[in-house]
Amino acid sequence: MIGSKILLVDDEIIFTNNMSKLLTSRGYLVTAVNNGESAIRMLEEKDFDVVVLDLKMPGMDGITTLKEIKKLGLFTETLILTGHGSVDTALEAIKIGAYDYLAKPCEIDELVEKIEGAWQQKDADEKKDMQEKIQKVIESPSDAFKLFKKKK
Amino acid sequence: MVLDTILTNSDLIIISITGEKIKLKHRINRKSNNIDPNRESQKYSRLFRNFTVLTIVCSLIPLLLVGWGINIHYTKFAKSRMINSIQSRVEHHGKIIKLFLEEHSSKLKLIAFTHSKSYLREPAHLQHIFEMMNKEHSVITDIGVIDENGRHLAYIGPYDLMDKNYSQAFWFAEAMEKGIYISDMFMGFRKEPHFIIAVTRSEEGKKWILRATVNSQAFRSLVENVRIGKTGEVYLVNSDGIFQTSPRFSGNIMEKAPFRPGPYHDEATVNIFKGGNPESGFSNQITAETWLSNPQWKLVVKQDYSEAFADVNHANFATLIFLHLSALSILIVTIFITKYMISMIKKRDIEAENLNQQLMQAGKLASIGELAAGVAHEINNPLAIILTERQILLDLFGITKIDDAEFSRQLKESMDQIDVQALRCKTITHNLLRFSRRTQSMIETIDLNQFLEEVIDLMEREAKTSGIKFIPDLDTSLPPILSDPSQLQQVFLNLINNAINAHEGKPYGTISITTRGDENKKGVQITFADTGSGISQGNIEKIFDPFFTTKEVGKGTGLGLSICYTIIKKLGGNITVKSKINEGTEFELFLPFDLPAELKESMTDDDQNELSSTRIKI
Repeated sequence: MIGSKILLVDDEIIFTNNMSKLLTSRGYLVTAVNNGESAIRMLEEKDFDVVVLDLKMPGMDGITTLKEIKKLGLFTETLILTGHGSVDTALEAIKIGAYDYLAKPCEIDELVEKIEGAWQQKDADEKKDMQEKIQKVIESPSDAFKLFKKKK
Repeated sequence: MVLDTILTNSDLIIISITGEKIKLKHRINRKSNNIDPNRESQKYSRLFRNFTVLTIVCSLIPLLLVGWGINIHYTKFAKSRMINSIQSRVEHHGKIIKLFLEEHSSKLKLIAFTHSKSYLREPAHLQHIFEMMNKEHSVITDIGVIDENGRHLAYIGPYDLMDKNYSQAFWFAEAMEKGIYISDMFMGFRKEPHFIIAVTRSEEGKKWILRATVNSQAFRSLVENVRIGKTGEVYLVNSDGIFQTSPRFSGNIMEKAPFRPGPYHDEATVNIFKGGNPESGFSNQITAETWLSNPQWKLVVKQDYSEAFADVNHANFATLIFLHLSALSILIVTIFITKYMISMIKKRDIEAENLNQQLMQAGKLASIGELAAGVAHEINNPLAIILTERQILLDLFGITKIDDAEFSRQLKESMDQIDVQALRCKTITHNLLRFSRRTQSMIETIDLNQFLEEVIDLMEREAKTSGIKFIPDLDTSLPPILSDPSQLQQVFLNLINNAINAHEGKPYGTISITTRGDENKKGVQITFADTGSGISQGNIEKIFDPFFTTKEVGKGTGLGLSICYTIIKKLGGNITVKSKINEGTEFELFLPFDLPAELKESMTDDDQNELSSTRIKI
């Protein structure tokens, strides 16, 4: 989806730079950070649709970062992109709540395809949530203010 | 595997990819494997010694104690029986002599008291009596009637003794006094050993004596003819220690015996003289003695100790020989059993050592896996960058107007080539990652065909350098099977490696890999057929034995096929081999679709969950 906000998390600066260029030229709004801590900070500040996360990073690693992201309770899908090809880690990431798993190196088209998938998932979740809220507002209008205020 | 060679040929490996984070150290401590053979053999000989000593203490010592105890007890018993028997013998002989003397004294007494002196002094009458007495046996040599003054009134006998006067003879006074008298042996007038029996009768206030000389031949034969073994002798001595009969060995009649006879007593006694005892006159002999009351003669039965107890000693000797032979045989058997046990222990130790080696091998493989994973990951990152750079260039090229057709063509071609080569690298790294993952044992569903293709992929380069081509012939209708991919990978790599090595010296060859599903047997038949040098008939029987190798020392552990065999058997399958020298070898594997029940049971719940989750393709 053109205009989707993407957060790139990878310790390889050249990679994030290149990826930013490629994704930006494909119409995405890309922010790149080089470690897990910055990613969490960024997510707390701004809204993102999709996070593209490397698993193996110095400091906070991908799995921990993913857990932290999940703790934030955002409508953001996470896509794992890593050179580390262990199925166990992939399974773990998906169990924690990653949208999908992609191994480096990958074609840009492949990545775009997955990002689109992740965005649609995020969008669907958001819509579903909204509908549920609307339903609740219809059922008990007094709670409406509380409901919308709560959503960050 | 190239990596494998690196690991097995060097002790310390540091792989460092310049400028990158990975640094993997791998040290194989070979020294811990090289156990000092000297200490090893010392350990076994100590074990041998301990076992032997323990068995001896537990079996030989009780046996010997019991054996010796019984032997001592038996000897005591046998000796006491022997002594009793010798004692009863002397009593018996004593009785015979006593009876002889009593009989003849009584006869003389009867004659003296039933006939008057006047009757007996008639030579014809005395002659008649003499003949009557000697009718059955010649028991007396002469008989005479002597008046109170010691003169012969009548005499019948071979000697001319009529004019002899016995008033001074030692027996005369004794006989006159006691009424009946039996003399000791003496020489007398006839100058030969003899003894007399004299009976005194008082008739009309006057005493007279009926005297008879006992046939000393007859009497002596009674004693001297008793033969006891080779060394035994029987003789009589009087209270002064003068032989009354001739002993067989130790002297002659009328000679002084070399010992004192001791005082008179009723009981028969047995003495054992061991060692030299000059005072007793006996050495190493057993003697039994009994006293006759009238005359006071001592009957002595004497035998060499060694002969008397020959039977006992013989029996003793036999038991002791038997006992010690038994002990010896126990000792020998103990030594043999211990040796056998030690050899079994040695064998077990070697087996344990083998297992250890296999574990090390597995550990090594796991290290390779780790290494491979690290390398793959670190190559994937730069590859990803290369691909993004390529994409940027392509993107830029798309929006930039360049008229040069040649440049455009060349750029496109180069970009495609970069893509192709990067993807090739990706295939390699992903294969490495897959290999690494399979170094960890787990059970999962496997598409065997795809699995084999991956293994072939992994080995293709190495095969190619040896001029070997893979010919896969895979059954496309094969269902997925449940098995342990890490172990299967080990088996397949091993078999392919062997197949490649079998082509040494041949410029080219093929390795055919066939899979065939078998619904009846509920399994897959996998065949690895090479065109290598083959295996000789003698070696083919030992091919799955641990440590069997035809490679040079240090080049092969001889564990490969033995491990393959163990793995396939464990996974519920089977492996067989056919080979023809110079034509090739064919390994046939059978793998069941499902795992054997006992292997499934041993799996944890986690493993079961893993099975249900789908395998994610990287």
